[in-house]
Amino acid sequence: MSKAKTSSLIKLIIGAAVLVFLPLAIPNSYIMQLVLNILIYVILAMGLNLLTGFTGILSLGHAAFFGVGAYVSGILNTRLGWPFWATLIVSVVVTALISLFLAFPALRVKGTYLVLMTIGFGEVIRLLLVNWISLTNGPNGIVGISYPDFGFFKLTNMTQCYYLAVIFVVLLMIYLKVLMKSRVGRCLLAIRDDDRAAELVGIDVSQYKLKAFMISAAYCAIAGTLYAHVIRYISPDSFRADESQLILCCVIIGGIGTFKGPVIGAVLLTIIPELFRSLQDFRMVLYGVILMIVIIFFPGGVAKYWDLLAARVKNMVTGSKSKAGAADAKK
Amino acid sequence: MNVLELKGLTKQFGGITAVNDVTFHVEEKQIFALIGPNGAGKTTAFNLISGVYVPTSGTVTFCGKVLNKMKPNRIVKEGIARTFQNIRLFGKMTALENVMTGFTCRTKADIFSIIFQMGKCKKEHDATEAKALEILDYIGLADLRDELAGSLPYGHQRLLEIARALACEPKLLMLDEPAAGMNKAEKQDLIELITKIRNDRGISVMLVEHDMDVIMSIADRIAVLNYGSLLAFGDKEEIQKDTAVIEAYLGNGD
Repeated sequence: MSKAKTSSLIKLIIGAAVLVFLPLAIPNSYIMQLVLNILIYVILAMGLNLLTGFTGILSLGHAAFFGVGAYVSGILNTRLGWPFWATLIVSVVVTALISLFLAFPALRVKGTYLVLMTIGFGEVIRLLLVNWISLTNGPNGIVGISYPDFGFFKLTNMTQCYYLAVIFVVLLMIYLKVLMKSRVGRCLLAIRDDDRAAELVGIDVSQYKLKAFMISAAYCAIAGTLYAHVIRYISPDSFRADESQLILCCVIIGGIGTFKGPVIGAVLLTIIPELFRSLQDFRMVLYGVILMIVIIFFPGGVAKYWDLLAARVKNMVTGSKSKAGAADAKK
Repeated sequence: MNVLELKGLTKQFGGITAVNDVTFHVEEKQIFALIGPNGAGKTTAFNLISGVYVPTSGTVTFCGKVLNKMKPNRIVKEGIARTFQNIRLFGKMTALENVMTGFTCRTKADIFSIIFQMGKCKKEHDATEAKALEILDYIGLADLRDELAGSLPYGHQRLLEIARALACEPKLLMLDEPAAGMNKAEKQDLIELITKIRNDRGISVMLVEHDMDVIMSIADRIAVLNYGSLLAFGDKEEIQKDTAVIEAYLGNGD
């Protein structure tokens, strides 16, 4: 086996071990809930990264897809008693279809106008959640959603939910990687770099933009379904515009257009505000300042610097005097 | 046989007529040059043929099919590929990936099949990669396959655009000022490359070019545009003697 393959295999095994044994290191349900939050944000950020990082369409309305996904699941579960797997499928399909209401008009506008449109879309969905009381129960939200149930196996606690979420994160990450290496991924990257040129090398730009929207929305719907069934309470407050901003921040701070970025971003942006919880009202001020500092000192996202750091550490550990790592780090 | 036929092609932008009642044709395996002073409507004509603009009136016929309202990506599938006056590569993708995008309309892998027909998609991907490498090799850029397109030197970028267009497997290749910014040696290489593409692959080539040396050494036929109208159309000997053409380029001496 080649050296690169061995090292990536070792990384894979360590990563898997960490994910499997992590619950043993979690002291209480508060931290567990935090970890579940991180996993849900990883999925949201991966979904947005597909659209914004890989296709070049900036969205500030992704909380809407998260919300639709959560509400479809919550409503089907509490009113009709549907189990998790069924609400998941319907929620993904419905959210992907609803994303077309944004995606079709989005084909006709670009840049800042498109961003405004996504903000508007997010507001429309939020207002529907608040005001369509007969369906959504309005500002009171939906309570009493059941833990994920697969028919043959019913989850009963947070730790089991953790493993379910991890499985989703891993599967969705694999799909994203396969997608981006495929013909479809090349089309999306081409559209990001120059959509007019993409059209003139034979790429059906509209079709692939719609697909990017639908997959991105589907990721958010999966995150929403997990959220609904794991937290078991949803209200319109969880799907406001600042939620959209947070998802976008995860992508940008972590590293837009990278695979690691959204994961790193979701971890950082979930943990940082918790670290300063003792500061109460001032914690969000500090949080904002930290965001600005990260943007200034880590342009391109933390993921890039993560790689450089990893290379340095590796050099130190192996003691090899190859200057490649050091040269990279200087850039 | 005529590969491409323009009949009475006209394009107006508001009150301005950029291309006015232009009629000419390109034959199979021909190297065809479209020339004219700046602002004569050459690039507009290119954009009309490749579907970027919809003609105000007139028709574009390609291998017997009318292209008028087809979307640009459909026109590529029909067999017309092009390059751009101001290079438009996918800057953050590698040279190889750029060429691979050209095969999009001849391949099938899609969002579900990459999971449910993994083997088939893998095969298609490998075949695409092999063909793309072959084209890179043909054009002389095989060593640069993993370089980002945006970081290549200018001359290589121009060649890579041609490679990407060849990946569309066209019957007609349209080059918009391929020699722009090239030095004498590079121009000579370009002339050889274009001739080679025509001879090896049987592709018709249509080019817009300002460099008369390049045109006179490779063009079989020439069309001259001036203020959007067709001024002359014929073999290069005819064009060289055409008084209207000389006047358009040099003035009439009054």
